Amino acid sequence: MQPNSFDRGSALSIFKSDRLEDVAALVAALVIALSVLVVIGHG
Amino acid sequence: MIYTQKSPALLIIGLIILLWGGLNHLGAVDGLQSSLQQAAFKDHVTVKEKFEAELRVATEQAAALKKPAPSMTMPKSKFDGEKAFQAKLSFIFGGAFTLIGLFILLWNPKPGHLDYMVSTIPGVGFIMLIALLVRWGLDPLFANWGKAVKDAGTLSWDFAKIFNLNYVVLGILIGIFVVNVLKIPAWAANGVRLSRLFLKTGVILLGTLYSAAELAQLGALSVVLIGIFVLGSVGIVLFMGKRMKADNSMTGVLSAGMGVCGVSATVASAPVVQAKAAEIAYTIGTILAWGVMCMFIFPTIGHLFHMTPVQFGAWAGTGILNSAQVAGAALAFDPDGIETLKVAEIFNITRVLFLPIIVLWLAAWYVRNEESATQVDLVHVLVSKFPIFVLGFIFMFALSSFGLFAPADHYQGKFFSGDKVKEEKLLKPKQVKLLEGELTKMRSPEEKKALADLIANRKLTSRAQDDLLKASARNPQLDNATRGILENASKAAWHDSPVIKAFRDWIAWLFALGLIGLGMQITGKAIRQAGGTPLVIGSVVGLIKAVGSLIVVLIFISKTV
Repeated sequence: MQPNSFDRGSALSIFKSDRLEDVAALVAALVIALSVLVVIGHG
Repeated sequence: MIYTQKSPALLIIGLIILLWGGLNHLGAVDGLQSSLQQAAFKDHVTVKEKFEAELRVATEQAAALKKPAPSMTMPKSKFDGEKAFQAKLSFIFGGAFTLIGLFILLWNPKPGHLDYMVSTIPGVGFIMLIALLVRWGLDPLFANWGKAVKDAGTLSWDFAKIFNLNYVVLGILIGIFVVNVLKIPAWAANGVRLSRLFLKTGVILLGTLYSAAELAQLGALSVVLIGIFVLGSVGIVLFMGKRMKADNSMTGVLSAGMGVCGVSATVASAPVVQAKAAEIAYTIGTILAWGVMCMFIFPTIGHLFHMTPVQFGAWAGTGILNSAQVAGAALAFDPDGIETLKVAEIFNITRVLFLPIIVLWLAAWYVRNEESATQVDLVHVLVSKFPIFVLGFIFMFALSSFGLFAPADHYQGKFFSGDKVKEEKLLKPKQVKLLEGELTKMRSPEEKKALADLIANRKLTSRAQDDLLKASARNPQLDNATRGILENASKAAWHDSPVIKAFRDWIAWLFALGLIGLGMQITGKAIRQAGGTPLVIGSVVGLIKAVGSLIVVLIFISKTV
């Protein structure tokens, strides 16, 4: 592992915790899914 | 602390990407693109020749009737589509990076959330530029080179395919090169730490590609196979750790990492076995080093054994330790298709679901082996450490199964619909007549009725009818022309969901960005940390798992779902 040179997050992530990163990924995935549905529609 | 570095780097990256978009839009790089996108260009030549022939005939007919020459537009070829896609993507991202790059130059950041968030964007731009270069440049370049060397007879095999020199492997290699040789520029450092977010988002979106109907066929098999290998791996590490006199905490944390899903499992099990920070780092180093090796070797072995996407996906999802490397190997094996990745992720996700069982097992094991161990709150550990992006994947899978994105019974984005059969794909009168003559050759009343319905409707109307006629197409009494008509009728009724195709594109880009960033986190130091006893135990268990799962997959997993 790299030494952490950041005072926020870890050496591998900008997020304070894995849980927060998971939530951010969840939000990003929902936004993408919604955008795809709005642009293309069902089918 | 101020994170945002005042640098023109993002502005320059944005302008480079915009320039590429503009050149594609204007057709100024058609020569270069035709040599890179060879298959698409071949399609372009075919479409152009067909169009020119049609135009010639129409012009001659108009001249004979003394009418003005017709005005016709050439249909879009795959080559046109690829160039338009590259231009569109370049305008979107190039434009965004240019504007944000200008903002960074003019802005005086103050410590806070905005500064922290903005500071990640130059790094994302940096990874994106590499991803574009690799996906649109190096990937097709190596693919064409490998094919050309094989076609010329210099080698009897496609070296680019065998060594998996596709965008996934090339991206990771460039990432490793950048971090170890060039060093990551300070202005990009914060953005590189977003790579895990990209990978997790990609994994969640993978759920959109599945449906319950499909998982039902793989589920039981994957659970049994994964269960044996997860529990077996943990057991062997615990046994070997004791024999080699490794610390209980080191052995415990390594067993979870080797058994379940690499880094997440290591982190989740660490408090249960009271692992020290150095032991966690050591375990992660071992897992990453072994995983990187597997990621490069697995696809090559997969091709040597002529494994199908389903077989390779099952093997990678069982034998490779880390989620990201499972995805890397699956994409390296099958960069154009998504089936391998999907199967690998099903096996991988199934493995993650064993985490609570393993954590409970380790807690009991540790308490028994370490008298001084203080009590740990198991429920708290499970609740606080379970990777919830896995729940996101399951949520997307549920939405997909309920038919939110495509018809609920879609299979890898493909779905059956008689209503959507195009007019030009309906059976022609000549074909109907031929099929009428074949009615007497049907082997059962059901097959006969299915064929009669096809004749009446000139298209397939249900999946059951499609299944029946697929079976009847294997009837040796039927001639090839009839078989061809039945196959074409089936193809006409199956459609590709544009929504699922869009998700596939998103997933491929998210994984490309994530894996390049992952490469940028593989330092020589991290690999060196994997030495010693944990590496010996990890290698033995990893090898047993890889070889054992290869044998089991080759014997028990059918070539198709």
